[in-house]
Amino acid sequence: MEGAMATDISVMGLFPDEQRTASTIEAMAGYPWKIDQVHTPFPSHKISAALKLKKSPVGWFTLVGGILGFVTGFSLAIYTAVEWKLIVWGKPVIAWIPFVIVGFEFTILFSVFANVLGLVVLGGLPDYQGLKRYDPRCSAEHFGILATCAAGEKEKVIEFFENQGGEARVFD
Amino acid sequence: MSEAPQLTYAEVDRTVLDTLRPPSGGYWLVIMVLILGVLVGAACWGYQIFIGLGAGGQNIPVAWGTYLINFVFWVGIAHSGTLISAILYLFRAGWRNPIARAAETMTVFAVSIAGLFPFIHLGRIWVVYYMLPYPNQRYLWPNFQSPLVFDVVAISTYLTVSSLFWYTGLLPDLAAVRDRATGLRRKIFTILSLGWTGKHEQWRHYTRGYLFFAALATPLVVSVHSVVSWDFALSAVPGWHSTIFAPYFVAGAIHSGLAMVLTLMIPLRKIFHYERIVTMKILEAVAKTIIFTGLIVGYAYGIEYFLAWYSNNIVEQEAFRWRALGDYSIEFWIMVVCNSIVPLLFFFKRIRTSIAWLFSISILINLGMWYERFVIIIGSVAHDFIPHAWGLYWPSGIEWGIMLGSFSLFFLLFLLFAKHLPSISMTEMKETLDHGGGHGD
Repeated sequence: MEGAMATDISVMGLFPDEQRTASTIEAMAGYPWKIDQVHTPFPSHKISAALKLKKSPVGWFTLVGGILGFVTGFSLAIYTAVEWKLIVWGKPVIAWIPFVIVGFEFTILFSVFANVLGLVVLGGLPDYQGLKRYDPRCSAEHFGILATCAAGEKEKVIEFFENQGGEARVFD
Repeated sequence: MSEAPQLTYAEVDRTVLDTLRPPSGGYWLVIMVLILGVLVGAACWGYQIFIGLGAGGQNIPVAWGTYLINFVFWVGIAHSGTLISAILYLFRAGWRNPIARAAETMTVFAVSIAGLFPFIHLGRIWVVYYMLPYPNQRYLWPNFQSPLVFDVVAISTYLTVSSLFWYTGLLPDLAAVRDRATGLRRKIFTILSLGWTGKHEQWRHYTRGYLFFAALATPLVVSVHSVVSWDFALSAVPGWHSTIFAPYFVAGAIHSGLAMVLTLMIPLRKIFHYERIVTMKILEAVAKTIIFTGLIVGYAYGIEYFLAWYSNNIVEQEAFRWRALGDYSIEFWIMVVCNSIVPLLFFFKRIRTSIAWLFSISILINLGMWYERFVIIIGSVAHDFIPHAWGLYWPSGIEWGIMLGSFSLFFLLFLLFAKHLPSISMTEMKETLDHGGGHGD
């Protein structure tokens, strides 16, 4: 909750469907309340579009991991071959073609490690503190919009969510 | 999927979470039987470590035996998990969603078990670390030009990637279990779910990361069984030294893996009342894919004979004549019938929509694919170039015991999983109900 004041409070609007959640997010644009989080039981394009979310940069992590893996795989194969200069099957000591397999597998392995790292770092995982302002129904059949507002606005936010067809829950 | 839209989110949760209730006595009885099977396998392995590799039936010229057969068999089983979870995901095949979790789990367990067999075949297991590339006073390093070292790299990468893919896919469902659990169970699932709350920032990175996972796992799965096939194809043995081995092995692996998906999903569907989630249409889609892979496998069997004839190489021709008519001809014909003829029965709608037929055919394909590895691995070295070097092989009791242990371990792990973690992805099912696809569709 960046920039939230000490007197700010969080109100969650719980909705039974994706469409209503997306339209509520769009309707909130005209109000001074900040949407802190939107919790959904599955990833939703409608909600992402309503929030105007950009594409995740996790792919950059994956790419860097892949490059590192490619270099590591080839380097390992070349270094070990040079350390023990044994001619096998009449191939040169630095035999590029068989080393492609080692390079390829390391590329995939390091890409995946970096992908997971990106997902964990960017997604803020593990996030046990986030459970304090979370409704367990959001992993089942509800969609939750967690809004932050000044303490004096609390009733207005609750009324807004209820008017949109949702149920409001206040986190103190 | 005409039946799926009738479900609601709550029904999906209820159906899947109900499977995590405390199991009956029958479940524990099956678990005990499987543990017994695992102990038999472990005892046989222990005996072999004590006595030496001679406890197995391997000989000269057949030095590999069931340890390599089972290794290739289990790697093959693992492949359809990635096909279903990654390749079909990239193709946006919505029918994969209800069976993806079980298939991914099957992959992780099957690769782990496959990975045991090279260790079992090592004999001196305590020097296994020689395979690792580490600085040592002997200046010896693994030979990265060897297909066996390719295998070490490929299989360990595959195990790591498929485990991470599986766990990442589980995260939202672990959170769903946490949210409905109490006491110690809740604490465990809170830790396992990493505090996942399904907030939009988490989903934003998760869906993108999942897409990359799928995109990376797809070439990996093709490379892994290609590498396994090169254990054979890169040697100059008749029946092994063939350029078709990589695609032939990949198709065979997916064929066996799909059959194992049916073998596992059909009882699971019945026991856990998944009929509305794992619909007949989904099982039918698996059966149709099996027709496709069966045709590729049948084509590969045929083309091997064509190549032997067309090459005009008498050693190759003799190897293939002996394969069909020699000492292992029964195993050969089991392979041909079970893998490429029996699956054609799925052309008939009546058969591919019958649970009994689906289950029976899946078992026959599993059997046929095991024998395919037997025919390739044993048959080729048993009857290669020089008649005085020919020899026959049959597994010893110790090998059968270890094989029993491996199958018991696989089913034990799968049963433990099915009762303790969500065996169907609730998240992806909800997406299917809403959009008909997977993450990010």
